[in-house]
Amino acid sequence: MIVTWQVALRIALLVLLGVVLQLSFFSEIELLGSTPDVLPVLAVALGLLGGGVVGAVCGFALGLLTDSLLLQTLGVSSIVLLTVGYLAGRWRESFDITSSFVPPLLTGALALFGAAMFAAIQLMLGVESPVSLLVVREILVKGLLAALLAIPLYPLVRFVLRPALVDDARGGRGRRGRRGRRRSLTPIRAA
Amino acid sequence: MYRKQVRRRRAVLVALVIVSLILLSLSFSEADSGPIHSIQRGLASVFGPIEEGAGRALKPVRDAINWFDETFDARGENDRLQDELTELRADAVDAEAIQAENDELRKALDFKTDAGIEGYTQVTSRVIARSPTVWYSQVTIDQGSSSGIERDDPVVTGDGLVGKVSDTTAGTAQVTLITDHRSAVSARVLTDGPLGVVKPEVGDPDDLLLDFIQEDREVAKGQRLVTAGSTASDLESLFPPGIPIGEVTNAELQAQDTYQRVHLKPFADLRDFEYVQVLTGGDGE
Repeated sequence: MIVTWQVALRIALLVLLGVVLQLSFFSEIELLGSTPDVLPVLAVALGLLGGGVVGAVCGFALGLLTDSLLLQTLGVSSIVLLTVGYLAGRWRESFDITSSFVPPLLTGALALFGAAMFAAIQLMLGVESPVSLLVVREILVKGLLAALLAIPLYPLVRFVLRPALVDDARGGRGRRGRRGRRRSLTPIRAA
Repeated sequence: MYRKQVRRRRAVLVALVIVSLILLSLSFSEADSGPIHSIQRGLASVFGPIEEGAGRALKPVRDAINWFDETFDARGENDRLQDELTELRADAVDAEAIQAENDELRKALDFKTDAGIEGYTQVTSRVIARSPTVWYSQVTIDQGSSSGIERDDPVVTGDGLVGKVSDTTAGTAQVTLITDHRSAVSARVLTDGPLGVVKPEVGDPDDLLLDFIQEDREVAKGQRLVTAGSTASDLESLFPPGIPIGEVTNAELQAQDTYQRVHLKPFADLRDFEYVQVLTGGDGE
């Protein structure tokens, strides 16, 4: 993927929309005793499509904006989401996506890792109350919900950034194009 | 070429991690009036109307999804509510007599009851954003300092205590819920029960802990808790007395503790509420 101004603008809009929807929509939904978290899903999707640097920068921006709007301690969500985005990007740079199951499964695993990392940072910063074992369930459910959310969101993010995906543009439409995309989805190349 | 790319990638990653750590450190140690908090408040006030608009537009979708989730829980809830209704009918008869007595005593003491909670004005607000993690139990509401809301104002719903205002912008306010790990509320067990401090158990929004109850004080399942309040000039409580908090579900004594560990379920559903009342302009302010 080649990052032009137009593509950067699309990514920025995705980040803004993702944070606003998370705070005013997804956080109000209760599923399996937890709330779905779309932010790691976005960080992973952007990392998978754009590589490590794009994943890290987008994860950092997602976290910074979230912490700012909620007037929380700055930096906690940023460091977690930038790690998640970077790891997704590094994974994509090292391996091919050989199956459509890979993005949701990887999203689930990295969201679980992110939730655990968030908990660890909070514990290091000091928690003034007892911590319930239900936190473990919360982390597992967050991972599961993230994997489910990635099923529609990963293709959606990919569709939004499609003009920048080198191999999508080269592959074109139809059977041949689909095969081409599956074979080699090149991460974002910095312009 | 490849090495250059790898070096650049590492440099970006290290720079972002360092910036995050600096922000974390500054944000953690800075006073609420500091520049970082001011920038956060500025951003929050800019995004407040956008969040409100998005919340309103997507409410039907959100309600539909929550309806499915609630339907699964409804069966067990129905049986429990039937039992509770039977108990409450008996309580209601007793309460009528107590209410009559209470009204008479209030009149005698010349209490002002016109504001619902004496001396406070209620500002009704709508929740427009919510923290996505259990580690910060916070919501953003659509009224702020321009409506008279100030930091530390108590926040309630029709069911009971929800939390307190932790920060304000002109058009929004941040409410820290009683399930947030930084929350502590002095409480009294009804009737004539002991005083203690209600703290949350992080990760479980249906369970609060009542701490500092001596082991010899009897606390039974089903007893209700209200805010204790305090009018001592040097240690004035943020919460006025008498706001319902929750009901005791279990009391246990750990082998090495001198205090009982009393669990309670909050009256207010702290994961699912849309409107709150902020109590502003109390006597203590």
